[in-house]
Amino acid sequence: MSFNPTSITGFGSVTPFGPAAGLLSGLELEPETITAWPNATLRRAYQVQPFNPAKLVPGAKTRRLDRLSCWALVAASLALQDAGLDLDAIDRSRVAVLCATGFGCVELTESFYRSAALNGWSGTDPITFPETLANAPACHVALFHGLRGPNLTLGGENFAAEIALLRAASLLRHGQADHAIVIAGDALSPAVYQWYETAGLLSPACFVSDPPARAAGFVPSEGVAAVLLESGPSAERRSYAQFIGGRYARSGDPAQAIRDLFPSAPALVFSAGDGSPCSSDPPAGVFRSCAGQSFSSNDARIVASLPVADGLARSSGLFHLLLALSRRAGSGPALMLGTAAGGAFAALRLEVPSS
Amino acid sequence: MLDPAKTIAVTAIGVVSPYGLGSAALQAGLLAGKSCLAPDTELFPGFSGHVARVAALPAIAEVERYSRSDRLAMAAAEDACAGLPRELLRRSGIVMATTVAGLTEIEPEIAIDPAAWYGKAGLARAATYPISRVAASVGEHLGIEGPACAVSVACASGAIALALAANMLLDGEVPLALAGGSDALSAFTASGFHSLQALDPSPCRPFDKSRRGLNLGEGAAVLVLETLAHARSRGAEILAILRGWAMSNDAYHPTAPDTEGKGLASAMRLAMEMAGTGIDEIGYVNAHGTGTPLNDVAETRCYELVFRGRSTPIPVSSTKSHIGHCLGAAGALEAAITILAMRRSALLPTLRLADPIESQEVEYLRGAWRRQPLPAAISVSAGFGGSNAALVFGSPDA
Repeated sequence: MSFNPTSITGFGSVTPFGPAAGLLSGLELEPETITAWPNATLRRAYQVQPFNPAKLVPGAKTRRLDRLSCWALVAASLALQDAGLDLDAIDRSRVAVLCATGFGCVELTESFYRSAALNGWSGTDPITFPETLANAPACHVALFHGLRGPNLTLGGENFAAEIALLRAASLLRHGQADHAIVIAGDALSPAVYQWYETAGLLSPACFVSDPPARAAGFVPSEGVAAVLLESGPSAERRSYAQFIGGRYARSGDPAQAIRDLFPSAPALVFSAGDGSPCSSDPPAGVFRSCAGQSFSSNDARIVASLPVADGLARSSGLFHLLLALSRRAGSGPALMLGTAAGGAFAALRLEVPSS
Repeated sequence: MLDPAKTIAVTAIGVVSPYGLGSAALQAGLLAGKSCLAPDTELFPGFSGHVARVAALPAIAEVERYSRSDRLAMAAAEDACAGLPRELLRRSGIVMATTVAGLTEIEPEIAIDPAAWYGKAGLARAATYPISRVAASVGEHLGIEGPACAVSVACASGAIALALAANMLLDGEVPLALAGGSDALSAFTASGFHSLQALDPSPCRPFDKSRRGLNLGEGAAVLVLETLAHARSRGAEILAILRGWAMSNDAYHPTAPDTEGKGLASAMRLAMEMAGTGIDEIGYVNAHGTGTPLNDVAETRCYELVFRGRSTPIPVSSTKSHIGHCLGAAGALEAAITILAMRRSALLPTLRLADPIESQEVEYLRGAWRRQPLPAAISVSAGFGGSNAALVFGSPDA
């Protein structure tokens, strides 16, 4: 495993907390009733409320885009703004864009299916089709900002965001880019929500505002988080965190991966959920059981995941990281750990500077 | 002198193409100049055009859990991994590209009443929708426990999967990587290209002045990549060296390529620079060559930019004229074809190319295949969203 630190110098997000540049504050949030879907019965979710993208990103034309593309463009732009990166001062062919997603542009995909149901496959909309492609969000970020470096859209069964971070760092390490914008997230749609419901995965909190405590299931969420990765001493000085490296696997021993990443115990453990919808905190338990095997003593502070990010499931990694850093839980070597059914895990090492 | 620890070797190729299962069938079909494009009216009601179908797909257990794209990928991966030790395979990584994934398994009615559709079709079919499922299915099928990464970058996906797998190997993340792409024919994508008027109702004619569009195909290719040092240590046969790879974006238009081909040229130059190959050392370009009016002109301009000053025109062909445009699998299939061409010292033609786009710098190959030693060749891919990728392969003997 090669380590070559890169710096996270900017955060941007479009989440149920609203669009934001930098870290978040006021992290209390309740799910809200879904009103955007005309035929929906009373259902609740953590939702991104409508906003005007052009007010945040002057010149952005998003009317025909999937919400995921729109949010990706806004979140990436806010991350660039937060990092203070002047794109006119750098070579835009050296800026990579990586987007991690579980479901891609699912809203316009459903719209395309709807037009096929109503008009037949011969009567679908040519404007919609290209916007259904999974790589449309990353494409719009590149197009708007004139970024001509590698442009990637990645997925993973559980850890799409973690995969994108690792691949972005790899591009920088191999000199294939100087900067990388990493974006991760998903949008909710009627078919996705209904899939969760039919599968029996939802929390009672999706149906009533005062659910019983410790109920099983999860509340679906949506949104996008973006970071700017860059390397070099100047970037390190103004970074939220250094991204050192990591490992993910379909199955295996997270304890070994944690040992490889951390010569001594981490100071912080950021729980990144279980990579699929969850309401508990499996990674914290996994870390505790691993810690005994890996370190002689461990008093790492565990920063539990929040339901608003757990509900984002497959692409939640950057949102978990944003929330963990926003809680300003401390500094030092940090493990971001996600676990999933079947022994899958993602373990990332970060270095959080003291503020 | 190549550093074996930092050189990427291709040690196996698994293919499911419209020619059938295996790279031998692919090579035989290409050398015979056989076109797999056939008239089709079944893709969706009202569709009438030519497509290249995979006729017989090997049976895979638990079919319900897997989409057609999954099963194409699983069959190609199984073909690629036939000789690999199980323990090595278990620790390997997977990078699989797709654009279609499980769209084949979902019907339009899901958008009208999702609950009713799940009630009728069940949840398993919709669970094949995420792009990650293809890589995961390969992992499940072959017992691979290492990292599994999905790539979806439109028609550049398959080539980009190979590039990312090469990076993973250089990073020491895995001892061996299975990388490629898989896409099935689907009503969804056929309808989309139909709506854009991008399909040629006749068999496509890439790089011909009379070209009218593309024909869709389906298939999968999986290449086994490892460092040269690792391959030598286990006595693996080296089929080719992946000497250089690069990715770029046009940042020009959501669907149209940069008319000057500058983005693709940038990827090609970077890949050739990484490979250390000059313009005279590249003996063949396996082009993206879709047959659409815009793409083929932009690509020609690109080759003129990259190969200006070459001692002879650069030989170029599009094998999409044989097997159609396999979308997310195209880049991987064409990488496999480029390697097969090198190993057979064969310059492959573009079929049905009667009146090529004029260019002083480009020799558009047509007619029968021609024997010529190929120490190095390049496979290029491009896609909606402006993404480009270039892969430079070298002979292991060069």
